[in-house]
Amino acid sequence: MTVTSTIPSYCYNCVAGPDLMRVRVEDGVAVRIEPDLSAAAIHPGLGRVCVKAFGLIQKTDNPHRVLTPMRRTNPRKGRDQDPGFVPISWDEALDTIAARLTDIRARGLLDEAGLPRLAATFGHGGTPQSYMGTFPAFLAAWGPIDYSFGSGQGVKCVHSEHLYGEFWHRGFTVTADTVHTRYLISCGNNAEVSGGVCAVRRGADARARGMKRIQIEPHLSPTAAAAAEWVPIKPKTDAAFLLALVHALLFEAPRARLDVPFLLARTASPYLVGPDGLYLRDPDTGAPLLWDETAARAVAHDTAAARPALEGSFTVPAAITRGPDGEITSWHDVPARTAFTVMADTLHPCTPDWAGAICDIPPATIRRIAADYLDHACVGETITIDGQSLPFRPVAVTLGKTVNNGWGAYECCWARTMLAVLVGALEVPGGTLGTTVRLNKPHENRLASVTPGEDGFMAAHFNATDRQDWAARPTGRNAHRSLVPIVGNSPWAQALGPTHLAWMFAEDPPAEWPDPPPPELWFAFRTNPAISFWDTARITRAMARMKFIVAFAYTMDETNHMADILLPDATDLESTQLIRIGGTKYVEQHWDHQGFALRAAAVAPRGQARDFTWIATELARRAGLLERYNAALNRGAAGAPLAGDGFDFSLPLDRAHDPDSIWNAVCQAATAGLGVPPRDLAWFREHGHCVVPFPRQDWYLTPTMARLGLRYELPYQERLLRVGQELGRRLHEHGIRWWDRQLGEYMPIPQWHDVPARWEAALSAAGADPADYPLWGITTKLMPYTTGNNAGIPLMAEVGANLRGTGAVIVNAATAARLGIVNGDWVEVRSVIGATVGRAAVVQGCRPDTIVIPGQFDHWKTPVAKDLHHASLNTITPISLDLTDATGSGADVVRVSLRRASAPAGQEAA
Amino acid sequence: MTRYVMVADLRRCVGCQTCTAACKEGNNTPPGVQWRRVLDLESGTYPEVRRVFLPTGCQHCDHPPCLEVCPSTATRQRADGIVTIDEDLCIGCGYCLMACPYEARALTAAPAFAFGATPTAAEAARRPVGIGVASKCDFCVGRIDAGRARGLTPGRDPEATPLCVNSCISGALRFGDLDDPHGPVAALLAEHQWFRLHEDQRTGPGFYYLWDAAPP
Repeated sequence: MTVTSTIPSYCYNCVAGPDLMRVRVEDGVAVRIEPDLSAAAIHPGLGRVCVKAFGLIQKTDNPHRVLTPMRRTNPRKGRDQDPGFVPISWDEALDTIAARLTDIRARGLLDEAGLPRLAATFGHGGTPQSYMGTFPAFLAAWGPIDYSFGSGQGVKCVHSEHLYGEFWHRGFTVTADTVHTRYLISCGNNAEVSGGVCAVRRGADARARGMKRIQIEPHLSPTAAAAAEWVPIKPKTDAAFLLALVHALLFEAPRARLDVPFLLARTASPYLVGPDGLYLRDPDTGAPLLWDETAARAVAHDTAAARPALEGSFTVPAAITRGPDGEITSWHDVPARTAFTVMADTLHPCTPDWAGAICDIPPATIRRIAADYLDHACVGETITIDGQSLPFRPVAVTLGKTVNNGWGAYECCWARTMLAVLVGALEVPGGTLGTTVRLNKPHENRLASVTPGEDGFMAAHFNATDRQDWAARPTGRNAHRSLVPIVGNSPWAQALGPTHLAWMFAEDPPAEWPDPPPPELWFAFRTNPAISFWDTARITRAMARMKFIVAFAYTMDETNHMADILLPDATDLESTQLIRIGGTKYVEQHWDHQGFALRAAAVAPRGQARDFTWIATELARRAGLLERYNAALNRGAAGAPLAGDGFDFSLPLDRAHDPDSIWNAVCQAATAGLGVPPRDLAWFREHGHCVVPFPRQDWYLTPTMARLGLRYELPYQERLLRVGQELGRRLHEHGIRWWDRQLGEYMPIPQWHDVPARWEAALSAAGADPADYPLWGITTKLMPYTTGNNAGIPLMAEVGANLRGTGAVIVNAATAARLGIVNGDWVEVRSVIGATVGRAAVVQGCRPDTIVIPGQFDHWKTPVAKDLHHASLNTITPISLDLTDATGSGADVVRVSLRRASAPAGQEAA
Repeated sequence: MTRYVMVADLRRCVGCQTCTAACKEGNNTPPGVQWRRVLDLESGTYPEVRRVFLPTGCQHCDHPPCLEVCPSTATRQRADGIVTIDEDLCIGCGYCLMACPYEARALTAAPAFAFGATPTAAEAARRPVGIGVASKCDFCVGRIDAGRARGLTPGRDPEATPLCVNSCISGALRFGDLDDPHGPVAALLAEHQWFRLHEDQRTGPGFYYLWDAAPP
């Protein structure tokens, strides 16, 4: 008789999760993933998981798994080297690592350059933390760690949105309030593919009730397929399109149709700007001034009785401005414009006709979209949420990767946010919302992260740029504190800095700084930068120079090929962890509940694979960190503080605890912290999750801003202007000129610069003729694969093949005909650094000047994946300082040529 | 009477392939056999292009062409409209594959597994389907029957509903009794435009597509 059970679990393989599921186990074998339909009432995706979760059975059973600890025997590293891995015992593996860790601690946590000797890289968007058990407690116990060797951050995420979104409205990621939105302008935001279960469900429901989505992108993605209209825009011209929309709202609609009360009360629109581009300030208090129409004079911004002027030019009898490095300039009878007027004057040339020529979009289309946006904005209307009357503005603008990465992203992020601001649709029902915070705390409550700061704005936590405190010597190998003020220095900031710089500088260090020695020990988990970054050959070379790599290995792959020790951690269905769910998170995880969910071990680990919590505890014990490790657990490093008001499940510090004991304490403490009776591990193993209501009004930030009397730091970017000037001074004082292009991005009102031309200029700088690379190469995501670390799962390959272009090169039919290419032909896509080969997928839904290579492939080591012969844009995309913006991000764009090619060895011709 | 049908709301489907994966895993079908497949279709000429995702599979026709050509009586039609294959009777002749206008049937000559010749633990734990005999979607008839025996309603109660419907993340796939005037399927078809595939062949498909324009 078959013994059957269903074990609660979650899927958090992509940042759009977590989603809840059950694992069906028969006679000790996991046979099927099932949605957790018992959670339908509390999960916005009705308890479903996406296609990736169904690959977890094959992931567990994969015959190519690494099932014992392994040690490298070949000291030479490189793609062409056989690592010579041999099995070793857990004791030998852990003692070897612990000996190195102990030696590092004895010599100091920082090396002679002041950089952490220990480095760690984790994969997509923080999701590995939901699978690494208590390893965060080990990391906390250690001390300074270099997280700057990215696996794609700044390139594969929505990087500029992370930084500017969190700065302007505590929106680390930004989304539409889809459950209320009626009109959505999506510039390349591929929500139907990478938005996760909740976004797909919310989007489908919205379409069914009539929401209209306009998809602006070069290639007709699944999201465009589900849109009311597809507008094929020229790559990297979205900034011009969005600036033209702002222009249309400013100049082609009556001012009264904008949300003037919102602009006056919740933004810096009325602040007065002086001739030097800085806010005019009260000479006594330093407070920014605005023009009080009642008194006909300039007054401090927080003057209660003032009736501020939204726009106009005025003369202020006496004021000061505060420039870089605290320089004060006194002004008398100084001409001033409101920030709103400065914005309007700056954007006056950005007409739809102007943008149309840049974007290859008919100006009438741009005007129609602007008009429709305004028509749907419902300015002046309200909606009742949780008994509270809030503004109702059912229009939103979302941005996709490549749009909000690299050059042009600042302009896009600003224009998108201003489109919301102009109609009062920022952080209100129906509008454009942030989801979570990662550069501010607390992570689980972005509203609580808002505190009053300078000039009537919320506090921002930039890296110092003043002469005394600027980090003249990098504190991490990507120099995030030195180069990117806006990223700050939170625990997440380093991994969000310009992570490709760490790899670049490893090979080609800047002359003005001390050479960055490689870390002495590098932990890698759920990450494969040798595939997922750009110029993968260069990344692979840099990786091979790492002194000692400890890779948590599921199968062999292109990154752990360079490892010194492989540790087989128990995979998703074999290990136990409790995580926080609900509230508002990342992509479109807007819940009406919040709480915790358990990933219970459904089956025993295969081979010698071990639960990550056991591994973390053993590493801490053997490296002499047990007390600090346990203390970190007690502080909340496993997801919840173990003691709080009325409860104390703290673990004794002086002994190693087994995983079940640790998670039992975490389960009880987490639930006690929710204000419900403590639920232990056994309870979670049966029920899976425990939640309490989360007020829907907490989806929106504007009520908090109003309660605190704060303004959004928009439209004018005085802070960025000043910080950029200070940064420039610091760099130039140290002889650094290679960041000057990036300094140019610190504009108080973003202006168009020829973004596409930067890619052509980069070709010329590389000694190539731009005419030889006439096409744009871009990429797009595939739901079966996106961020799933699952390229070696056959089920994903099979179902992914149902989607056009999977593993192929998507090319417009007219372009293909011109080049003599037919569907299924092998083609070569060549850039200035190399070539990739795949089959042609000839379609109509792609711009003629653009080819698309979906996903990230080109594996040469990962079992199954290495036999797919898929093309990959990463292989041919250069890592380039010239194509890095001021936030340290670059975009998935490369100039390419296309031609027919012969079939790879062993592959059939077309 | 009871007539079980599937409804696919094409306004909702985003081609995510979750239903296909759930079906494959739940029914242990061999590599390459997809009882629930989602087609990725395109129409028009650049820049006036539409792309549509179309879930397909056995249509459980009123007049199944596969039934007419089956020489062994393995293919049968139940009173509730579900078309089944009795593997013990099927001789693997493949006539039904040729007769089906929806290309919904598969025939796998020899056992095949995800990672090659050796089954994984999950594959070994369950009986392989469709080896040497025809196979296709049966609307998860075992779940329907077991659920009904417990008083559950297919299409409403997950335990009595096909796996693809339970897994569908966009809510595109719905299932139920066409003859139940209070059921979800009847209401959907009453309130929306719909079409069926290959109506000209007079098969009477039990698979409806909601769409607010002409069929793609």
